[in-house]
Amino acid sequence: MQESFLSFLGENLQLFLTYTGVYNATPGHFVMIAVGLIFIFLAIKYEFEPMLLIPIGFGILIGNIPFKDAGLQVGLYEQGSVLNILYQGVTSGWYPPLIFLGIGAMTDFSALISNPKLMLIGAAAQFGIFGAYVIALQMGFEPNQAGAIGIIGGADGPTAIFLSSKLAPELMGAIAISAYSYMALVPILQPPFMRLLTTSKERLIRMKPPRVVSSTEKIIFPIIGLLLTCFLVPSGLPLLGMLFFGNLLKESGVTRRLAETARGPLIDTITILLGITVGASTQATQFLTWNSVKIFGLGALSFIIATCAGVMFVKFFNLFLRKGNKINPLIGNAGVSAVPDSARISQTVGAQYDPSNYLLMHAMGPNVAGVIGSAVAAGILLGFLG
Amino acid sequence: MYKMIRKNTGLLLLTLLLATGAQAQRVTSMRINEVLVINEDNFVDDYGKRNGWVELYNTSAGTVNVGGCFLTDDRNNPKKYPIPKGDVLTRISPRQHVLFWVDGIASHGTFHVNFTFDPDKENYVAFYDSDGKTLVDELVIPAGQKADISYGRKKDGENEWVYFTKVTPSTNNLTLDTNEKIDNFKLNDSRGIGMTITAMSVVFLGLFVLYYIFKQVARLAIAAGKARAQKAGVAGMHEGSSDISGEVLAAISTALYELNEDVHDIERTVLTIQKVKRNYSPWSSKIYSLRENPRK
Repeated sequence: MQESFLSFLGENLQLFLTYTGVYNATPGHFVMIAVGLIFIFLAIKYEFEPMLLIPIGFGILIGNIPFKDAGLQVGLYEQGSVLNILYQGVTSGWYPPLIFLGIGAMTDFSALISNPKLMLIGAAAQFGIFGAYVIALQMGFEPNQAGAIGIIGGADGPTAIFLSSKLAPELMGAIAISAYSYMALVPILQPPFMRLLTTSKERLIRMKPPRVVSSTEKIIFPIIGLLLTCFLVPSGLPLLGMLFFGNLLKESGVTRRLAETARGPLIDTITILLGITVGASTQATQFLTWNSVKIFGLGALSFIIATCAGVMFVKFFNLFLRKGNKINPLIGNAGVSAVPDSARISQTVGAQYDPSNYLLMHAMGPNVAGVIGSAVAAGILLGFLG
Repeated sequence: MYKMIRKNTGLLLLTLLLATGAQAQRVTSMRINEVLVINEDNFVDDYGKRNGWVELYNTSAGTVNVGGCFLTDDRNNPKKYPIPKGDVLTRISPRQHVLFWVDGIASHGTFHVNFTFDPDKENYVAFYDSDGKTLVDELVIPAGQKADISYGRKKDGENEWVYFTKVTPSTNNLTLDTNEKIDNFKLNDSRGIGMTITAMSVVFLGLFVLYYIFKQVARLAIAAGKARAQKAGVAGMHEGSSDISGEVLAAISTALYELNEDVHDIERTVLTIQKVKRNYSPWSSKIYSLRENPRK
């Protein structure tokens, strides 16, 4: 009797062991856990996009706790699990537009409205998307996959998730992680290329202070912006519609409570859910593939191409501008959306050469134009390849 | 009164919007998609019988409930077969199909109509909205139909009608096993140059038009500002330039921001950029003005 009870205990213990994370762990899980820890370290130590890297980094830890697939509805990819339910906002693409609503409600387009030619820099930086698209095709990706990978160059996490969930859901985890990682790493990625492509004289260009923009102009902007961009690219409607709607809530002056909710509790909630689920989607078994490695490489390239295209476009544009109206090419990098980090980099690099030259407000122009540009580019890719 | 009118106007607009939104996903997007008049050696129903059938197709991107609508073979009697309400199967998902057996035995269930096709004549079939008046779609099936060959739209929901030797009840008329768009890009733009040129042109065009419009808006705004200034009699106002230093502007902006944000109570303080010097005086020292509690 005692012997059979002991053997029962032993069997149970053995069974329990097969359920533990230790038993089910693979080297891949530890690699991914290390990646998650690096994200958390970068966010806390260097404050690289902490709002994104902390949820994503911790999500990676959650997603890479090994477990036995026993239908317990634990993992993100198990239908009906809590994580799976939260992940539906990513797979069905409704988190990104809500993030855009919040971005619209917190973005001041004054810099862009006061100097509208800066919009063209935001357009030029989208070369990063299509440069990566061309290279991805050469590497053997299908056109829809190449389009989804290319959007990393838009430096816009929600747009990348939105587009990849439609064009190549199988690559979404890698694309999202790559986009957010490089957005966090813009302080490392961009400055060398900004310095490489500019002369010391160009870096000292002082731009005219932006004029004061009236509230009427600010109200008109989201309405005209929406009508124009969406009539041209209707497939960008979910992102652009919400972006401009959020901005109108902010600028109308009569929907303050709605604007505050959109740019406060709503965007915070969605950011938490988006970050944690995108992080958790990187289960080693699904994530650690050669394609993911290639996507990371292409992501870096797309950021570099976007930065270079923005800077080079400003230099080219300056050829046609009168003296006194010239643009400092150091704000060219801000054409990639990564708001406001890439604009801050323009300021930081510019201040290294002339501490009294404040480029931040000028750089915010192409920066927010980049948000519009990347959403338009995403709409085009979706229209062509969706 | 004014408030009530405003409230009612808002409600009216909301109702109108909701009605318009609902219209977009109503049964008007249903189409008669494929029919089989003579079924000899083909698809069987749940009773193991072979009969003619009509396939409807939801062309919209939203779910459509055909319950309460009508199917008929009689131009003078649009309400001949009312599709029963309350059956979950009458909810047709976006771009999906539903099949009705034309066997004349309505008692067999929701999807069995109370009329039959005549194999020797021209047949007529129509689909009416739930009001029994709005014709959604109709079809005249030519006489001389052959057994087990269906008559349907070449591609779901489109206008061209063809005969199918391989019938496709409750499924796509044209089987899509590839993505045409992607295949087209693979064939004609394997390097991605075409996509790059097209897409960048559109991005530039969009933002250029936005630039142009806001350049004009800026001109108008500046002109309007000047006119207002002149009207107000403000003399010596120079556009785009100012003698006020950045620090003063920052102080003014901060004050305005604080005022607009209304985060503080009104305090009797002065916002200044001057250094505040307070010399020590025992008369103003808190040490001497605080009172200790008496010890028990």
